[in-house]
Amino acid sequence: MEHLELFFKSIFIDNMVFATFLGMCSYLAVSKKVSTAVGLGAAVIFVMAITVPVNWLLDTYVLKEGALVWLGEEYASYDLSFLSFILFIATIATMVQLVEIVVEKFSPSLYNSLGIFLPLIAVNCAILGGSLFMQSREIPTLGMALNYGVSSGIGWFLAILAIAAIREKIRYSNVPAPLRGLGITFILTGLMAIGFMSFGGMLTGDEGNKKPVKEEVQAEAEELLDESKEMVLNTNK
Amino acid sequence: MAEVAEKQVKAKEPLFSKQNKGLMTDPLFDNNPITIQVLGICSALAITAQLKASIVMALAVTFVLAMGNVVISLMRNIIPSKIRIIVQLVVVATLVIIVDLVLKAFAYELSKQLSVFVGLIITNCIIMGRFEAFALGNGPWKSFLDGIGNAAGYGLILIIVGFFRELLGSGTLLGFPVLGNPIEKTGLYALGYENNGFMLLAPMALITVGIIIWIQRSRNKSLIEN
Amino acid sequence: MANTEKNSYTLLFAVLMVVVVGSVLAGLFGSLNGQIKENQKKEKKQNILFAMGITKATISKNQDDADLPVDASEADKIFEEYVGDNQFIIEGIKATKTNKAFDIDVKKQGQLAKKDGYVRKLPLFIGSVNGKKSYVVPLYGKGLWDAIWGYVALEEDLKTVKGAFFDHKGETPGLGANIKEKFFYSDFKGESIYSGAEFKGITVAKGNNDPTNQRKDDNKVDAIAGATITGDGVTAMIKADIKMYVPYFETVKPN
Repeated sequence: MEHLELFFKSIFIDNMVFATFLGMCSYLAVSKKVSTAVGLGAAVIFVMAITVPVNWLLDTYVLKEGALVWLGEEYASYDLSFLSFILFIATIATMVQLVEIVVEKFSPSLYNSLGIFLPLIAVNCAILGGSLFMQSREIPTLGMALNYGVSSGIGWFLAILAIAAIREKIRYSNVPAPLRGLGITFILTGLMAIGFMSFGGMLTGDEGNKKPVKEEVQAEAEELLDESKEMVLNTNK
Repeated sequence: MAEVAEKQVKAKEPLFSKQNKGLMTDPLFDNNPITIQVLGICSALAITAQLKASIVMALAVTFVLAMGNVVISLMRNIIPSKIRIIVQLVVVATLVIIVDLVLKAFAYELSKQLSVFVGLIITNCIIMGRFEAFALGNGPWKSFLDGIGNAAGYGLILIIVGFFRELLGSGTLLGFPVLGNPIEKTGLYALGYENNGFMLLAPMALITVGIIIWIQRSRNKSLIEN
Repeated sequence: MANTEKNSYTLLFAVLMVVVVGSVLAGLFGSLNGQIKENQKKEKKQNILFAMGITKATISKNQDDADLPVDASEADKIFEEYVGDNQFIIEGIKATKTNKAFDIDVKKQGQLAKKDGYVRKLPLFIGSVNGKKSYVVPLYGKGLWDAIWGYVALEEDLKTVKGAFFDHKGETPGLGANIKEKFFYSDFKGESIYSGAEFKGITVAKGNNDPTNQRKDDNKVDAIAGATITGDGVTAMIKADIKMYVPYFETVKPN
């Protein structure tokens, strides 16, 4: 259930392109044709599925304050989180380069269709954004991190696929000349983002049943409240 | 040897030759990073709801881009091409983190204003884009000018978008109410004017940039795409 | 010039780069960390005082300074004057007076509390302004992009909000980042965290139709347009974090 919620939330509500506006540059630059958009989108899903879990491991076992405790008690106070930007970026760039080498070696046909997009991915801020969100939202387990990476990638894939399809259709429309190309794409993306905002109602619309943020903490506080009542009762006796 | 040859050429060329001036002025309009090169869009959308944030971001990017361009340009002959992307990313990230740490220690008030932008600067593709397209192939002084010029072009769009979004969205400029008070119904609001809260949402930034592109390309027909 | 295309060169370069960058950053961080921690402590003091209503104006007597925190250079002294040793660690309904309360990391406690059987240590600061106590509770939660936090000061009745302060790590400037602004935090003043006898928290509500915040008893303040998720984060953090103190408050609350 938790997984399912995160999955849909990352694809529709927190869509990388339409909600957080990350990965815009390659989104705008490589969305002229559906076929290329599919290639880049697939590559993004793939890279995010690898980098988010890897960075999760890095964050949990190296960077976080107290993460180094597995080395021994004396390392418990180290806080390396100021290195997270650099390490996350290094992981992403390394992974992209590794993927390029592996794909080239084992599946030249896939490499030919993906090849040119791989360097583009390293500079796609949606990828780094995914890892940074994973860190700041404190995704609890490796499984959830994998889920988050894949679903954010799918969200990005959907977005670029949709805009590429629209741009292919719009070629036959009578767009004012100065708006053709980039201009109309900006405006279309704006309208699509407004459309995607309505997905926000899926999980936040019901006032009385707000997102279960900090459910555990609340439950704990309720327990404490009960305990305290008991204690007060006991002292009254 | 290449470096020596380059120095000789440079010695003949004045610091602000016509070509060098072009490096600074071209990105302002005809080769603008946002509207023509499609670089640095994410941050242009994220922070332009307020004019002040736009200006701060423009200044921060100018600093990082100019510095980064010089560093990359100095290192351009020793960077292995296979890992150049990693090297570029590491250079930006290191620069930004150093500045952030120093500010936190010695100018804490200022660092609080800027801390929000740290992540946005590192992930700003305008920086990577200029490293790749210019600094890797040109000398430090030219790269410096290119950095300043592109950051200025980027900042120009940011400030235009920020101006309209804050004016129409909140009725203020740099935080000062310029259209009257919406709650007490003074100024324009007395005539029934309302703020358009929609302008504050990021999709409207996209549409505003779209309109800027429209105006720009109507004035300069050579930029029109087929 | 070495051949920059060779694998051995690439590897050497990568290793050298990691070592150089790593040691530069680690050295810088190590040497500046003390200063940074000191600055952060002062800021925390400024924020706690601010929530209680001790602003720069309290010291300078100049009403223009009413929206500014006390000067960082004086924060230690003023904090000592108004709060001093009146710091407590709350565990359940037990309160321990200790100066260590100030050093408790609310975020870390939240993570520790996920383990079974851990009783969370909750810091509480009691300031006295003009002979009246105010109870300052730290909050910690999540906004749209990253962490948000704040301090809420309660009046002596432990129901009414005396003042609030919010801050964030990276909310959108102009939207979510406005939780720092006066028009947002000042709305909390006078709101009640109880509805009748029941703990309710304060909801950052859209369509509250109360822009000047006249209704103080509805447990609601006006949301910031375009910052729904940050606003929800504030609501959730007030509800969850103050609620943990309620068992203790019940024992000391005046009737």
